[in-house]
Amino acid sequence: MFRPFADWLATTAVSRTLADQPWVVPTSQSIHILAVSAVFASAFMINLRLLGVGATGRSISQLSHTLLPWMWRGLVVLLCTGIIQTLVEPVRQFVTPAFWAKMVLIALVATMTALYARAVRRNAPLWDAASSRPPRAKIFAIVSTLMWLAIIVCGRFIAYTWSMYA
Amino acid sequence: MSIDALLRSIEALPLSAAVRGELPGSEWLFPIIETLHVMALTVVVGSIAMMDLRLLGIASRNSPVSRLSNEVLPWTWSAWCVAAVFGTLMFMSKAHTYAANLQFQLKFACMGLAALNMLVFHLGAFRRVEHWDLDDPPRSAKLAGAISLLLWISVVFFGRWVGFTVTT
Repeated sequence: MFRPFADWLATTAVSRTLADQPWVVPTSQSIHILAVSAVFASAFMINLRLLGVGATGRSISQLSHTLLPWMWRGLVVLLCTGIIQTLVEPVRQFVTPAFWAKMVLIALVATMTALYARAVRRNAPLWDAASSRPPRAKIFAIVSTLMWLAIIVCGRFIAYTWSMYA
Repeated sequence: MSIDALLRSIEALPLSAAVRGELPGSEWLFPIIETLHVMALTVVVGSIAMMDLRLLGIASRNSPVSRLSNEVLPWTWSAWCVAAVFGTLMFMSKAHTYAANLQFQLKFACMGLAALNMLVFHLGAFRRVEHWDLDDPPRSAKLAGAISLLLWISVVFFGRWVGFTVTT
């Protein structure tokens, strides 16, 4: 059902114009990886802090306040560069389950992160004291880290699996 | 033994053949190794950027530089070791091709310069960090942060470009 759409997208002027420039995809992918670095390293530090194994010099609210804006900025850059890569090679993206798994995981982990950000913003003292921190903090830390890692796996495996479905 | 012969003997190792996917059951080894390399490098680059942006006075300004360094750099080094192990495995699979690749050479030149920049910073401005730990960093520290950020961005670009120029 997405294949006809992908085939049509590949014939559009914007897709053809971008595809004619050989530097577009490598440049976009490089910026994409830099944005993954900002998002994943930030998520990783926050999650280490929630688990009590890293960045313990700062409170959870302080660390989240510093790093969450970089995660949102990074996600915007990921969306923009991802759209460019999809415009250039729509078939490659839409045919492989790795792409769809990645999209679902991103939607889920972004929602979880937004809920986490809201909870910490609303009641920083509750989250900063280890005694009162909700038990779901550690679950969020472990699950969201695994989800980000799975997103990286899916992203890289789009390149290695799409030809099996095209 | 010449360098070329050394590189070719590395490629002839069974481990290198496995990374190339030539041994039974090893077809997915290269994508798996590459994915682990990407996971590790995002932590390396992201955590270095946290330090660089602090030195530039752009982010984490309420954190003392020395404390941020203690918190972040152990994870940077651990992740760098992971990235290096999986990077070495990829290199072994086509050692002489990578060694002759311009983007690969530029990537390692940038990492060498980044190491030099870090050394200059640690022997210079960072030795007096207690005098500016909570302030706007001195000009030499800002310069070190800017150079580091530019070099690591270049490492990512050249690294990604290696994948487009080394063909199977």
